[in-house]
Order: sequence, then structure tokens, then C-alpha cells
Amino acid sequence: MAMPGQLMFARRLGPTARLLIWLLAGASCVAVDARYHALDGLRSGFSLVLQPARAIMRTPFDIAAELGGFFVRHRLLQKERDALLTERARLLVDVNTAQELVRENTELRTLLQLQSRPGQRVIHAALLYRGHDWFAQRITLDQGGGAGLRRGLPVVDASGLVGQVSRVYPGSSEVMLVSSPQQLTPVLVERTGQRGLAAGNGHSRMELRYMPAQTDIRPGDRLLTSGIDRVYPAGIPVARVSRVSRSQSSPYLRVESLPLAGLDRSRAVLVLIADPQVTRP
Amino acid sequence: MTAATQTPGSWRRILGTLTLAVLLEQLPWSGLALALRPDFVLVGVLFWTLHQPARISFGAAFFLGLMADFQDGAVFGQHAIAYVAGVYLVLFLRLRLLQFDPLRQAAQLFPILLTVQLLVLLIGWLAVNPPTGLAMLLPVLSSTVLWYLIALFVRLWHGKGMQDRA
Repeated sequence: MAMPGQLMFARRLGPTARLLIWLLAGASCVAVDARYHALDGLRSGFSLVLQPARAIMRTPFDIAAELGGFFVRHRLLQKERDALLTERARLLVDVNTAQELVRENTELRTLLQLQSRPGQRVIHAALLYRGHDWFAQRITLDQGGGAGLRRGLPVVDASGLVGQVSRVYPGSSEVMLVSSPQQLTPVLVERTGQRGLAAGNGHSRMELRYMPAQTDIRPGDRLLTSGIDRVYPAGIPVARVSRVSRSQSSPYLRVESLPLAGLDRSRAVLVLIADPQVTRP
Repeated sequence: MTAATQTPGSWRRILGTLTLAVLLEQLPWSGLALALRPDFVLVGVLFWTLHQPARISFGAAFFLGLMADFQDGAVFGQHAIAYVAGVYLVLFLRLRLLQFDPLRQAAQLFPILLTVQLLVLLIGWLAVNPPTGLAMLLPVLSSTVLWYLIALFVRLWHGKGMQDRA
């Protein structure tokens, strides 16, 4: 096929032939990666190259945030301190109650000869980068395999479940957010104990799937992880129900909920590491 | 309007601008800015394909496409195939594109950038799962605007600027 106005030498391959060769290479990349996951080494290579660049490009923003924090007014700090003192007093009361409960729980568990809950370790990580969320919602963290992270670990922030580690590189890792379309989270409704399966819908929302039409659920109910999947520890807040509607065509309720964790906002997150020998069935 | 001379500084300029494009994409974009972020790397590759086709074409586009796939956590090859197709379209329309002023050139680039993005969408749809909306077409607009600004800058730098000095 002759190209009008093409500045190519006659001996070289024409653009169409070169296009076809590269398209073939691209198609084989897609097949190898999607079907056999054989290109993880290449991903690690890119992460090694790009992670320092990301850290550097992030620095001015971090410094600006620090400087902004430095000039917080004295009055504001005082107010915050008072509020914290009050909260501390309240929390101390709660801690006492909790200690009492732990003791009682241990005794009861020994009585029942149940396995005690797995010991947990947390790793602090910070958000390093966000990509486009056209097909799945992911974030990149600044901790990776070097810090002991592995695939499948749950990630939380101060207010709830953020997601699950999906890929681990030497110095960084990717987290699939709970609002991502393929991400399923086993939950229970806090008020009634009803179990269900929450799935992301890709627009920073989640829906509760397969809830029979007579289920007792209403807007405002909190959803917690149920812990039956042995991936997430039980009792982590996941989402709050925002809308419940009945559809004529389906036997199930349509339950929309908003994730509690600051998926777009939180900068610092925690990765929970449970001892593997305990979680293994 | 192109300075298609084989100066030794040319490689430096090409690599410099492409590195700058990659670094710009590593900034912590989020929210609306992320949704509207132009595809700096694609614009850079297409620009150099237009002006230096002997140096930057399919190979560079493919490699930078793989890097874009890594950035979005997408399947490898998704952006690579689309970028390569974009390079082909630019090579096909090259002489025609070089004749236009910046505004018309950007208008001609719009369908090419749109084709690239639709290919990304199509391949992602086939290989992974349906996309979560059509927000992924927004960067096409911002990339077109970016192309216009760059073309305008280059024209002022090489064309009009030199005429004034002469």
C-alpha cells in the first residue's frame, strides 16, 4: 500500500508493515499478561524506575502541606488540645471496659477451648500515586515487599476499610479499593447481623448484592466486615447504607452504600498483617 | 514551521521533553485534575513523530505505552497498541498536518487522539471488563488543547520569532 508523501527509504519496511508488527507485539503482550500473568517482572522494573520519580515529584506538595500546618493558629491548637483531652478521658473509660471485656473473653474462650484471634501487626504506609480509574480503582502505596507486604492483605485507614493489596513490588505496592468494580467484600449489617456481599460499582460507591426483598435494612445502617472469608478481620467498618430501593423485575433489594474510609482523601493508611499460620484453615 | 534539522541538540531536546512528560504524569494528580489530565506522554510522542519521524516512531510509542499501562495498573499492551496506532495515523497524515496553522493542526489531531483513546477503551473492554463510564474521553479534549498550545509555542519560537529577528 503506497503512502502519499511518506519520507521513507525504499529499503525500509513501510509504515503499514511496521504497524502490523507492533500491533502483533501489543496483542501478544495483552494475551500473555491477561491470561498467564507472565509480565510481573516488567512491572517490577517499571516500579523500580518510577518510584523514585514519584517520591521526588510528591515532595513539593508534602513540603507545602507541612508549611501550611506550621502556620496553624495558636488558638486552633488550644481548642484542639482541649477537645483531645476530653476525648482522652472518655476513651480511658472505654479502655477500662475493653480490658474487662478482653479478660472475660479470654476466660470464656478458654472455657470453650476456642482458638484465640490471630495476633496482628500493622504497617504504616502512605499514598504515593493514583492512576486513572477507568477500569478499576487502584492506589499505589510507598511500602512494598521489603516491608513484609504480600498480596491479599487488608488495608484500612482511621475510619474504615480501604481495600486489599493486589500487587507487590520491592518498594511499593498497589491496592485495589473497595469501590472497584471487581472487588467483593463479605459484610454484615451491624444492626441486624444479616450477612451479605458488598461490591464496588466503580463510582466511589458500593452496592450490597443478593439481599432478599424482605430483608430488614434501612439507610444509615453500618456495614462491617464479617470475617468469614479469612481475608479481612471481622468488625472493620466498610460502608454506610445510603439508599434502599425495591425493583419490580428482581427478587433482590437494590442497596446502595457509601464507603466510610476516605478513599479519595486519606494520605496515610495501615496494612494489617495477620500471622499466616493462624489464618490458614 | 518545523526545525527538522539533524542538529546534535535534537536528541537532547527529544529526550528532555519526553522525560518531562513522564515526570509530569508522576505528579500526585487526584480528583478532577486527574480526570482532566492531558496525556502528556502521548502528545509528546505524536509531536516528535510529526517533526522527527526518523527518530521517534513506533518503538518509542510502544515502550511509553507499556509505561502508561503500568501507571494505570492496566493490562500490558492496552496503551501500547493505542499509541502505536496513533503514531501510524500521524505518519499517514504527516505532510498534510505540517501545512496547517496551530489551531487547525490541533483540530486535525483531535480525531487521532480520540481514536487512540477509543482503542484503549476497546482493548480494556475486551481484555478486562467494561469501563466504569465515559469519563475516560475527557483527556482527549485536554490533550487537544495541549497540542494547540505546544504548536503555538513552537510556531512563535521558530517561525515568527526568527522572522522578527531577521
